[in-house]
Amino acid sequence: MTGIHDMGGRREEFGPVDKSQHELEDWERLADAVNYVLNAKGHKTTDEMRRAIESLREYREMSYYERWAAAAEALVVEKGLLTQEEIDERAAALERRWESG
Amino acid sequence: MSENGHEHEHGHPHAEPKHETSPWAARIRAVEELLAEKGILTHEEVEAQIEYMEARSYENGARLVARAWTDPGFKELLLRDTKAACSQLGIDASGTVEFVTVENTPATHNLIVCTLCSCYPRAILGRPPDWYKSPAYRSRAVVEPRAVMREFGLEIPEDTSVSVHDSSADVRYLVLPMRPPGTEGMTEDELADLVTRDCLVGTAVPREPARV
Repeated sequence: MTGIHDMGGRREEFGPVDKSQHELEDWERLADAVNYVLNAKGHKTTDEMRRAIESLREYREMSYYERWAAAAEALVVEKGLLTQEEIDERAAALERRWESG
Repeated sequence: MSENGHEHEHGHPHAEPKHETSPWAARIRAVEELLAEKGILTHEEVEAQIEYMEARSYENGARLVARAWTDPGFKELLLRDTKAACSQLGIDASGTVEFVTVENTPATHNLIVCTLCSCYPRAILGRPPDWYKSPAYRSRAVVEPRAVMREFGLEIPEDTSVSVHDSSADVRYLVLPMRPPGTEGMTEDELADLVTRDCLVGTAVPREPARV
């Protein structure tokens, strides 16, 4: 079975190529960099990252760096570097701080 | 990177960003903070990586092309060992990823895609453009490359064959375009100015210099 990420020749995706470019947001640069640093320090590999991205249930609904962020989170939990609970808690605290800020 | 140079009271330059439009913004920041608190990585390492990536640009590719146009020995090296050619120009392409340069000729035009994801010679050219990551480009480039290139304003002659290269995590391609006519006597810097990012992906070819 062809994975959701395997776009080559996928007719339902055919359409004009949108050539507009969005300015990267800070969190997107962060998602990019966290991934590279974790790879560089040997905590995960490019292939593990690909597998994590390709297994995302909402792959097609997510933006490019949302996939990176979600895959990085899944891998650090899978590897026992962080727990899902502490990430959820910290993310909720950050959201509250940003809303009140 | 100037827009990220602002420091906050707790010394974390990314704590109060300008735009946070995705629910994943808080989540990746939470992950980064927690990893730093546990000593798995440092904010400095993350900042250094952001700055490193911001400094990558297609202009590196344009320099490779301009040198290859003016120095046959360098061209031979670029096609045989792209990493060694980068290193000669002081472009850091170290790492485990392989780079392959494919040469446009009157007989063959090359187009690069990554149908599976977004693999791109980032270490040399920086981040890929959004369209390179789009489902439309990824799905169509391998089936109807001429139609795709036409959308970019590039018409490849019928008697030129089109070769599409599907990148992977391990092998990334870049295109060596043909030197346009009318560029005899131009300096290497002037030649590099003719090479746009899309020329290195194959959705464009270098323009001929304007004639007065």
